[in-house]
Amino acid sequence: MRIRAIAEGDLDELQALARETGVGFTSLPDNRDFLAAKIASTLAAFEERTPQDQRLYFFVLEDEASGRLAGCCAIEGQVGREIPFYHYRLGTLAHSSVQLDLHRTIDTLFLSSDHTGDAEVASLFLRPEYRGTDRRHERNGALLSMVRWLFLAEFRDRFPDKVLAEMRGVFDDQGRSPFWECLGSHFFPLDFAEADKLTGLGQKSFIGELMPKFPIYTPFLSEAARACIGQVHEHTRPALAMLKKQGLRWEGYIDIFDGGPTVEAYIDDVRGVRLSRRCRVEVKAGSLEHTPRPRWLAATTGMAGFCAAWLGRGPDAAGVVTLDEAEAHRLEVASGDTLRILDTEEEA
Amino acid sequence: MLVIRPVRPADLPALERLAGSATPRLTNLPAHRDRLEERIARSQRAFTAEVEVPGDEHYTFVLDDLARGEVAGTATIRAQAGAREAYYTYRQETLIHASQQLDVRREVPTLSLSHEVSEATLLCALSLDARYTGTSAESLLRRARLMFIAQYPERFAAILAMAFPGYLDEQGESPFWNSVGRHFFVRDYQEINYLAGVRSKSFIAEVMPQFPLYLALLTRQARAAIGREHPDHEPALTEMLAEGFLRSRHVDIFDAGPVIKGERERLASFRRAAWHPVRIRPAHALPDAEPAMVANQRLGDFRCVVARYALSPTGQLMLSPAHAERLGVEEGRAVLVAPLALSGGGDGSVDAHDPGYDEGEL
Repeated sequence: MRIRAIAEGDLDELQALARETGVGFTSLPDNRDFLAAKIASTLAAFEERTPQDQRLYFFVLEDEASGRLAGCCAIEGQVGREIPFYHYRLGTLAHSSVQLDLHRTIDTLFLSSDHTGDAEVASLFLRPEYRGTDRRHERNGALLSMVRWLFLAEFRDRFPDKVLAEMRGVFDDQGRSPFWECLGSHFFPLDFAEADKLTGLGQKSFIGELMPKFPIYTPFLSEAARACIGQVHEHTRPALAMLKKQGLRWEGYIDIFDGGPTVEAYIDDVRGVRLSRRCRVEVKAGSLEHTPRPRWLAATTGMAGFCAAWLGRGPDAAGVVTLDEAEAHRLEVASGDTLRILDTEEEA
Repeated sequence: MLVIRPVRPADLPALERLAGSATPRLTNLPAHRDRLEERIARSQRAFTAEVEVPGDEHYTFVLDDLARGEVAGTATIRAQAGAREAYYTYRQETLIHASQQLDVRREVPTLSLSHEVSEATLLCALSLDARYTGTSAESLLRRARLMFIAQYPERFAAILAMAFPGYLDEQGESPFWNSVGRHFFVRDYQEINYLAGVRSKSFIAEVMPQFPLYLALLTRQARAAIGREHPDHEPALTEMLAEGFLRSRHVDIFDAGPVIKGERERLASFRRAAWHPVRIRPAHALPDAEPAMVANQRLGDFRCVVARYALSPTGQLMLSPAHAERLGVEEGRAVLVAPLALSGGGDGSVDAHDPGYDEGEL
C-alpha cells in the first residue's frame, strides 16, 4: 500500500470511491465532471501552475496488489479565498442582573468566516474492505491521515499558519441531521443531501444568501439539535481521535449544516509536523525484518512524484534509514536519496 | 353620576383593589402599595407642574362613582413612554433572503428589540371594576384621557401609543414568554411581569437577548401569540382602532401583545371635539341627544363626564345643574365636547387580513 498524488487515469476509481462515501461527506460528490476537474486541479497544484491559495493536493491510497484505490485524502492550500467559507462559532453570552439575582450564560452561534486563509486537511476516506477488524493491523487509516503532516512539514513554506479539519456531524438512523432539521431547514428550500451536494460541488453562494446572519441563541433549538453541536458521527470518531492526538483542538467552530466540529491547530504545533525529520536512504538487497505493527511513516521529498508508505524500521543514530528492495521500489528511491520519516509512536 | 378626575392620596385603597383585580395583571399597575403611593404622588406633581415639552410626567386618573361613593376605575397617561429609561418593544421585521444560485426568494420574519416607541405618549394602566364593563363608563375611562391631551397638546407627543395585554392560555401562561423570555430569565410570566411593574420594565429589557430573533425558531404557539391581544381586551382594542389607532409592527417584549399607535390629529375624538359655552337647564327640560364626553378646562381639577350632546340653536351646550356642578363650570364657561359613539366602530374598517402596519415611523 502506498500514497501518491492522484493521476489522470484514476478517474473511474475515484468515482467508485465517491459513490461509497455517502451523505455528509461533502468534498467528494459523485459527479464525474467535478471529479475530473478535481484531478486536473491537483495536477496543476503539484506542478505549481496555480497560485498558492488555489492549490488542492489530492492523494490516493493505492493497493499495488490489485491496482485499485483503497482510499483518499487531501490538503486544501487555503480555504475561503475563492469561495466563502462559513462556520458557526459557539460563543457564550453572559446574561446577568444583580437586581434580578440572575446570572446565566447563553450559548450562542455566531456566523463566522474566521478560517478564511487557513489550510484544510479533508476528504479522508478509506474503503470498508480496507478498514475492517482483519485489516486494522495495516493502519491504512493512519497512513492516510498522517501523510498530510509529512507533506505540510516538507513543503511548509507553501502553507499558511493554521490548519483545520471539518468532521462529519451526527445523523440519525434515517440519515437525517437533527441539527439541520431544526435550523437549516427553516432557511434553505432544499433538503440536507441537496444542500450538502451543492456545497461539495463548490456552489456555496446560496449559503451566504440564505443563511441567518444574526446570532442564534441555542436555547431556541430543540434538545436533539443542541445535542449535535460539536459532536461527530460515530464512524468519524476514530478519525477525530487521530487528529486530536496530533494536537488539533475544537475551538467552538461547527459546520453550519450538521453541527459537526471543526478542529484546528497552528501547523508548526502539529505533532507530525514537529517530529518528522529528513533521513538519508540506504537500500539493502533482499528483504529486511519489519516491525509487527507499522510504526515508521516515510514520504518522499520531491513535489513531483510525491509518495509515502509505512517502513519496516526507523533510522539509525546517524539518521540513516535502511530500506529493503520492495520498500525502495514502492517509494521510488535509491541509496543516497532523502526521505522524511515520522515515528508515529514517539511520545510528543 | 360618574366622573373622571385626577387621582388623590385618598384613592390609594381603591387603586390597590383595582390593581389586584386587573385581568391579566398589568405591568404598569402592580398591586404594590408603595408603588401605588408613588404613582399618586407622581401624578399630583405632573398635574401641578409647568410643562413645555413632554417628559417624565405620569398623569393618573380615576373613575369616581359618586352615587356609590367609590372609585370604579383608573387609567394613566405617560407623557413619554420612555422618558428616563427606554421603552422597549419587539419590532416585527421581515428580511428578504434571496438566492440567485437557487432562484429562490424567502421572507424571513424576525423580532428585533427596539426602543422607537420611547418618544410616544403612552396610554396605560387601565383597570375597571368588572361591574362597569361594557358600559359607557368604560369608554369614558379609556377616552377621557384623549380629552385631556386635546387640551394640553404641549404636554404630550404627537403620537400616542397603547400596549394591550397579550394572549395567555387557559393556565394563565404566556406561550410567547415560555418560548422566548423564559430561556433567559428562568422565571414564569406572572413573576416577571410583577417584577417589571415593581422595578421597571426597561431594566429587565436590558437583560433581554439583544440580537434579533428568528420566528422560525420559536414554538408554533409563541408565533401564534405575536400581536394577539388577551381576549378580555378585545373590545378595548376594537374601540381604539375605531378611534383611529393603527396596529403597529411593535409587540410587547414579554407576552407579544399588540402595540397600537395613533397620530393625535387623526383620532376621531380629537377631530370631532369642539368647544361650547355652557348653558344650564333643569334636567327634565333637556332635549334627547347622543351621549358625549364633556370635559372642563382645568388642569389640576380636570373633570370629564358623559352627558347628552344637546346644543341650543346658538351653539351652547345645555347641561343639567348636576353635571355643571360635577364639572365645576358655571353658565357661559367653555367645555370641550366629543361624541362618545365612534363611527365605523369595529365594523370592518380594519380589514382582518391587513394588519394596518404603520410605515415604521413609530
